[in-house]
Amino acid sequence: MFHLNKDRAAGIVLGTSFLITMALALFILAFLLAESLPVLREEGLSFITGQVWYVAGDIYGALPMIYGTLAVTLLALIIALPLGIGSAVITSEILTGRTRHIVKSLMEMLAAIPGVVYGLIGIALLTTSVRDLFGLMDGNTIFTAGLLLGIMILPTIMTLSDDAMRSLPGELRAQGRVLGLSHGQTIRRVVLPGSIKGITGAVLLGVSRAMGETISVMLVIGSLDRLPTPIYNVFTSGQSITSKLGREGAEGLGLGLQWSALAGLGLMLFISVMALTFTGNIIRGGVRPKKSKNHEVTG
Amino acid sequence: MRVRVKDICFFSLCLMAAATAISLLFIIIGYILWHGAPAINFAFLTEGSRDFGAAGGVFYQTTGTVLLMFTAGLIALPIALGTVLFSHVYLGPSYKKTTDLFIYALNGVPTIIFGLLGYIIIGEGLHLGVSWVTGSIILAVMILPSMAVSIDEALSAMPHKYRDAALVLGLGRWHLIRTLLLPRSLPGVLTGLFLGLARAAGETAAIMFTATAFSGVGLPRGISEPVATLQTHILVLAGEATNPRALTNAWGAALILVTLVLALSLTAMFIRRQVRMEAEI
Repeated sequence: MFHLNKDRAAGIVLGTSFLITMALALFILAFLLAESLPVLREEGLSFITGQVWYVAGDIYGALPMIYGTLAVTLLALIIALPLGIGSAVITSEILTGRTRHIVKSLMEMLAAIPGVVYGLIGIALLTTSVRDLFGLMDGNTIFTAGLLLGIMILPTIMTLSDDAMRSLPGELRAQGRVLGLSHGQTIRRVVLPGSIKGITGAVLLGVSRAMGETISVMLVIGSLDRLPTPIYNVFTSGQSITSKLGREGAEGLGLGLQWSALAGLGLMLFISVMALTFTGNIIRGGVRPKKSKNHEVTG
Repeated sequence: MRVRVKDICFFSLCLMAAATAISLLFIIIGYILWHGAPAINFAFLTEGSRDFGAAGGVFYQTTGTVLLMFTAGLIALPIALGTVLFSHVYLGPSYKKTTDLFIYALNGVPTIIFGLLGYIIIGEGLHLGVSWVTGSIILAVMILPSMAVSIDEALSAMPHKYRDAALVLGLGRWHLIRTLLLPRSLPGVLTGLFLGLARAAGETAAIMFTATAFSGVGLPRGISEPVATLQTHILVLAGEATNPRALTNAWGAALILVTLVLALSLTAMFIRRQVRMEAEI
C-alpha cells in the first residue's frame, strides 16, 4: 500500500508539470485571440488589407507589416537555401568522422550567437555596405533585414538538411554506384530526391525561425510603416510584424485599441509560425530514423 | 566526360557554399573580437555604467543577465523534468506524438510574443511589474521546451532491457523513476540545462519590456525590481550608432555576451556528444 500512495503522489506532481507544459501553447493562442477581438471587430478585413497604421486616429491597417514579414522571409530563404543545402551535401556526403563533427559544431555555434549581436553587426557592417553598394541614401532596408536573417537561419537549414541526408540508408548510395552513377550523380539523383521530405521540413523550420526573429530585424529594417513603390523595391525602409511589435510594444502594452491591434499582429504571426512549425515537424517526422518505442510502462 | 564536368561543377558549388558558411562564422566572431576587445579591461568588467552606457563598465548588466538566466533555469528545469517523466512513465507511447507536437509548438512561439503577453499576464495580471521575477518566468516558459526535448532524448535512448527488468521485478512507478529514470536522465538534464541557459542569456525580445530598466540600475534589491542586462544594454547602445564611445561599449558588451553564450552552448554540445558516444558502444 505504501508505495502505491507514493506512486499516486508522484503522478500528481509530475502530471501537474505535464499539464502546465501542454497548456501553455494553447493558452497563448486563446489569449492572443481574445485580446485581438476588439481590433478585428473595429477594423474587420481592413486590419489585413489596410495600409495605414495611425495610432492617434485609431486606424490600424497591417498590410505594410505583413508585406515586410513576407519579403524579409523570402529574401532570407533565397540566401540561406542554396548555401544551406550545398553545405549539407559537403558535410553529409563528403566529410567523415572528426572533420564532419567539427564543421557541424561550428554551424551550431553560428546558430547560438544572440539575435541582438547579429543586429549590432547588421548596423555596423551590413547597413553601410548595402548603402554604399547599391548607392542608397539609407542602408536600413527590407533587403538588409532579409540578408541578415538569411545568415541567421543558415545553420538551421544546413544542420537539419544534413540530418535528413544522413538518415538515408547507405545501401541506396551503394546501389547508385553499382548502377554506374558517379558520386555526384548519386547525390543528385538518389540522395537529394530521397531526402526531399527532410529537407523540406528543414526549410519550413528555418522559415518559421526567420518570421519570428525580432531584434536583429528591428535594428536594420528602417521601421517605416508603408508599402514600397514599386511593390518589389526591397531597397527601401519597411516594417515587419516583429519589428512593429518590438518598436511599439512598450508604448501600447495593454492600452485600448492600439494594444488590441498589436495583439492582432501577434496572432497573425503566431498562426503563421505555428502552421510552418507543425508542417515542418510532421514532414520531418516521416524521415527521422525510427526511435525505440519503449516508453510504455505498465503496472 | 560530360558527367565528370558536371560533377566538378556540382562539387565546386557545394564546396563554395560550405566555405561561405564557415567563413561567415569566422568573420562574425572575428568582427566581434576586433571591435569588442579594445573595450575590455578590468574597469569595464567591474564598474557600473555612466553617461547612459557611453562610459563606465557593464558589471551590473553582466550580473543581471546571469541572474535572469539562472532563475529562469531554476523555474523551468523541474517542470521540464516532470513533464518528460510523466509522459514516459504514466502515459503510453501512443501519446508520444501528441506530446511532442505540443512541445515543438511551444518551442516555435516567436519570443516577442512571450514578451508582450508575459507583461500583460504576469507583470499586470499578477502585479509583478517590470521585474526580475517577471522576466525569469517568461524566460522559463521560453526555454522549457528545449529542456524537455533534451531530457526526452536521454530517456528515449535507454535500452529496453532496463525497463523490462524493472517491470519483471514488479517495481512501482515512483521506485522506477527514482532508481532508474532519474539517474538515466541526468545527462539529458545537464544538456538541457546548459542549452536553456544559453538561450535565456541570448534572448532580448522576451525581456526588453518585461524585466529590464536601462539607466541608473545597480544590483536589484529583490525579485520585484528590474534588472539591467547585457542584451538590452547592447540594444539601447546600438540605437546610438553615431556616438563612437557608446558603440565601443556595445561591442564590449557583445563580446562578453557571446563568450558566455558560446561557453554554455559548447558545454551542452560536449555533454551531448559524450552521451551519444556511450550509447553507440
